[in-house]
Amino acid sequence: MSARAFSTVGQAVPRVDAEEKTSGRAKYTTDLALPGMAYAKLALSPLPHARIVSIDASRARALPGVYAVLTAAELTGMETHYGSDRKDRPIVAMGKVRFEGEPIAAVAAVDLAKAEEAVELIEAEYEELPPVIGLEAALAGESEPVQETNVCHRYEVAWGDAAGAMAACDHVFEDTFTFPMVYHYAMEPHAVIADYQADRLSVWSSAQHPFLVRAELARVFRKRLDQVRVVVPYVGGGYGSKSYTKIEPLAAALSRLAGRPVRLALSVEEAMKTVRRHATRATIRTGVQADGTFVARECRVELDTGAYTDNGVRVTERAADRLPGPYRFEHLRSEAVGLFTNTTPAGSFRSIGGPQGAWACESHTDNIAHALGIDPLELRLKNLVRPGEELLRGRRRLEADLAAPLAEVARGFGWHDYEPVSTAPHLKRGVGMACAVANAGASPISGAFVRLHADGSATVHVGTTEIGQGSRSALAQIAAEELRLPLSSVRVIASDTDAVPYDRSTGASRSTTLAGLAVHDAAADARAQMEDAAARYFETFAEQVALAEGSASFEGESISYGALIGQVFGGAGGEIVGRSAITPDHPSGKLAEDPVFWEVSMGFAEVEVDTETGRVRVLRYTSVADPGKAINPAQVEGQDEGAAMQGVGHTLFEEMRYEEGQLMNPNLIDYRVPTFGDLPDEFHTVLLERGDGPGPYGAKGVGEGGIVAVAPAVANALFNATGARIRDLPLTPERVWRALRETNDA
Amino acid sequence: MRPFTLHEPTSAAEASALLLERGEAARLYAGGTELLLAMKGGFLPCDHLVNVKTIPGMDAVALDGGALVIGAAATHTAIESAPIVRERFPLVAQVERRVANARVRNVGTLAGNLCFAEPHSDPAALLLLYDAEAVVEGASGERRISIADLQIAPYETALEPGEVMTAVRISPLPGGARAAYLKFGIHHRPTIGVGAMLRVAEGVVVEARLSLGSVPPVARRLPEAEALLLGERAEHLNAESSAVAEVADAAAAQADAVDDLHGSTEYKRHLVGVFVRRAIAQAAA
Amino acid sequence: MSSATPRIRVACEVNGRPVEAKVEPRAFLIDLLRDEFGLTSVKRSCDVQVCGACAVLLDGRPVSSCTLPAFEARGHSVLTAEGLADEPLGEALARAFAQHAAFQCGFCTPGLLLTAKALLDSAPAPTAEQVSECLEGNLCRCTGYKKIVEAVLAAAGRSAV
Repeated sequence: MSARAFSTVGQAVPRVDAEEKTSGRAKYTTDLALPGMAYAKLALSPLPHARIVSIDASRARALPGVYAVLTAAELTGMETHYGSDRKDRPIVAMGKVRFEGEPIAAVAAVDLAKAEEAVELIEAEYEELPPVIGLEAALAGESEPVQETNVCHRYEVAWGDAAGAMAACDHVFEDTFTFPMVYHYAMEPHAVIADYQADRLSVWSSAQHPFLVRAELARVFRKRLDQVRVVVPYVGGGYGSKSYTKIEPLAAALSRLAGRPVRLALSVEEAMKTVRRHATRATIRTGVQADGTFVARECRVELDTGAYTDNGVRVTERAADRLPGPYRFEHLRSEAVGLFTNTTPAGSFRSIGGPQGAWACESHTDNIAHALGIDPLELRLKNLVRPGEELLRGRRRLEADLAAPLAEVARGFGWHDYEPVSTAPHLKRGVGMACAVANAGASPISGAFVRLHADGSATVHVGTTEIGQGSRSALAQIAAEELRLPLSSVRVIASDTDAVPYDRSTGASRSTTLAGLAVHDAAADARAQMEDAAARYFETFAEQVALAEGSASFEGESISYGALIGQVFGGAGGEIVGRSAITPDHPSGKLAEDPVFWEVSMGFAEVEVDTETGRVRVLRYTSVADPGKAINPAQVEGQDEGAAMQGVGHTLFEEMRYEEGQLMNPNLIDYRVPTFGDLPDEFHTVLLERGDGPGPYGAKGVGEGGIVAVAPAVANALFNATGARIRDLPLTPERVWRALRETNDA
Repeated sequence: MRPFTLHEPTSAAEASALLLERGEAARLYAGGTELLLAMKGGFLPCDHLVNVKTIPGMDAVALDGGALVIGAAATHTAIESAPIVRERFPLVAQVERRVANARVRNVGTLAGNLCFAEPHSDPAALLLLYDAEAVVEGASGERRISIADLQIAPYETALEPGEVMTAVRISPLPGGARAAYLKFGIHHRPTIGVGAMLRVAEGVVVEARLSLGSVPPVARRLPEAEALLLGERAEHLNAESSAVAEVADAAAAQADAVDDLHGSTEYKRHLVGVFVRRAIAQAAA
Repeated sequence: MSSATPRIRVACEVNGRPVEAKVEPRAFLIDLLRDEFGLTSVKRSCDVQVCGACAVLLDGRPVSSCTLPAFEARGHSVLTAEGLADEPLGEALARAFAQHAAFQCGFCTPGLLLTAKALLDSAPAPTAEQVSECLEGNLCRCTGYKKIVEAVLAAAGRSAV
């Protein structure tokens, strides 16, 4: 790393999209329109599980103003199914419906009202099948399975002899915890504009992974990659809900049928029936020595992956990876099974399998501490994986020290001398903590171009999707830093598969690390070319010239970038292009191992519970994020605070409630997400900046970690306050009230 | 949403005639914050919307012989911010200020709220603490319906076909009366609302009203629990008193709770006890 | 069917300018603003008056344009985020949101800026509690809310001379 002082990296500068986003000019997918564009509406299955006997769309097709009605019968001359790991998802239901809300048909019409009217005219006849709802039913398999079987995926990570080692331990503890289905509520529901033409398919989509969408569309419509273009305008939140391919094939198929561009914009209810987080049931068994040393752990997690695979394979695997927690075990066995049910398909959601694992592991850790009479902090400090050790055998060693920051933040939180204040007899307070580490970063495959223009400004071409996380700002800061340009001279363009190089995905907290490294390397490449040009201009060696603030200088003389580029191209315009392609073989050697980095989560909570109503409030919350190097500290804090508040949601309120396969709360009136009123009185994020990440300037990923520790920290605080241990989320007032009653009866 | 025709009458009689003429296909429209949601969701067919806001004077909030008269087009915001409400009916102002959110309060009306009869809502339960009436106008003239008789089932009122609610009349609490209203829940709509009104003479409760909303299908008084309060010394009515606990138990027994997304019957009965106790203590304090 | 219902003439003021349109009775204000006037800062999200993404100011007061009929704008003034820059508090709020990192995806931002403006118009120096209480009906899924409260307080400080 260079010893020069940073000019923009490390600064909490305003985001580069501030002007657009505070003036209302920022364009999201539904703000765009193409000439002749039709409006689409979906016909959804009212049943969770049924055979489709017939679909009659003739009345809808006959309605004036309707351009096309797509059913399975129209999916000819193309692939009919898609999916990231398994192609098990039909573009519209074929033969069978597998969840309430599955599209069975779609209408394209002159306007949305007409499309809605036409949807009402579609008549479908079904033969009902018993729905498979919940893990028990999926495991029992007593009725017709959801797919060919109800098992989506099995996975195991193990070393040593966990079962055998238990017998030799002083104590063995076991707990089971459940985590509900929850919904991302990205405020912008999924939206797509598709324009299908014989030799070209153009799609504007709220997609997090445009290159994966492109590949999927090319496969489905039997086109070459260059014939498919996916553009991502501003995205109104993702959190995983817009990962992989969702409604793009449907919109494109409808456009193909209608012979004109089609816009498909989902409602919140439809978005809720598009993707959700996996519900889980996790059992952990831990063999512990009398002094609190963990020896062996056996754990099993069952995941409800809903009706189709979506990202269920990877989530199942990560759940097993993450469930054992950040502790050292001589013997470990962690297994996971993903199960199909007749509910909304589950996919990626901010730290896949992470909150579910930490909820179980970290609640269990406090149970052990309580049983052994050891302070929960001390028990963690004793057992945390140490720097340089393997958290999962055969994977990248943990670079970060966990114990020191955990102890330090605990001190700052007042852990050791905590005395609960009581403001009324029915109000009780307590404190709790949780800690987790997740294998993050996904695949290290990203590219970037940096074009340094003839006037000294620069355009950065990179495939990361700006979903609100601030990637465009962080990447502009990195480019400006490396190009030695003021931030205002750098523009990062929107994701457009026609115009930016390949980037695998926007998720898994990977963008600043991997796309950041790509931008860093491409900008450094451009800078090296400028240094060479300056050396020729000054008739010296490249090492002798200094680049700063858009100028090159040597021995008191200086020349602007623009003038220098004019020299290179003989004064007739032209531009310098820097490029990079990040792969696991990156010359730094830091990307060769799996995972790319470990993402740290720590949370400390003080709660107050009304013991009469069961209502829990978070009074104080301190979160710890480990960005290695914060490119933009305000954005890192913002990501972490937002993640933590989203965690407050699944901790206290959020749950998709199904009854007999029908979603009972498919709207924001009945599905409660956190509001301003839930903001803790004190709410802090502590940033660890130890320069130990594989990304630019020692950066590593954040953004997912903040959500992971909230539920167990809050539940542990509730346990501390009342002695009630709750094993199911969310901690609704009724659930807490029941737990308090049982605790008092016991 | 299905298309509809908008009608803009200039008198209650005209509105009433329109309703009679169009029958089931017509709906009265004031703030529309509940009605239009239901229409958008496809739950309420409606081909004719009859706007009461075009009737002159409908948005008035005024005193009439000591009673507060709230026109059918007066929004929650207009009510809670009116000086006469804040000064003479502070509890009404306080509850109205916490209905839904600011945007809904800026558009939604008290009369519309009462007519829609959504079970999870505060105003009806609050008004049961008062002598309050709905003023309605129909083909056969004007009549008044006691607030206790107005809502007869979820989303159903005692209004006859063609009747238009023109105002809500709220009489002041009797001298010596103190009242409190508490609401609770984690959802957008309340899980429970409990009101308590105690009239105390020479330190003794001589009149008591307890109201319960959001738990039963329709907001209701709790007469058996109220009866237990008569003759109690106000100074003893704190949250820990056994007398209050007895009242709370009686209230819980009468709660008429139903299981829904807000909780089980058992939990709601428990909450009734808790909030009746707290509301009495607050009113007595 | 839709041709059977007479359209309604809506003359109102939008962002300081007189405008006019003919709307179906069933058209909502959000549709008029977005589709007719191209004011796409008005965002559709929850569609049930809970989230505030579609909030606009009607005569200075926040309303949910997703559920308010367009004909209700007749004779009134409507302010959307596009018109905020011309308002006294608009620039201070926009700057404070930028400087305090009070937005991420930005989808809720127009509604929040307008609601905050309405608050500061009536309470120029609010407390943090007042800010939270006023904005409680606006959802944001990205920021965790803290930085929004800080930004509104900062904007108030700047504009309160």
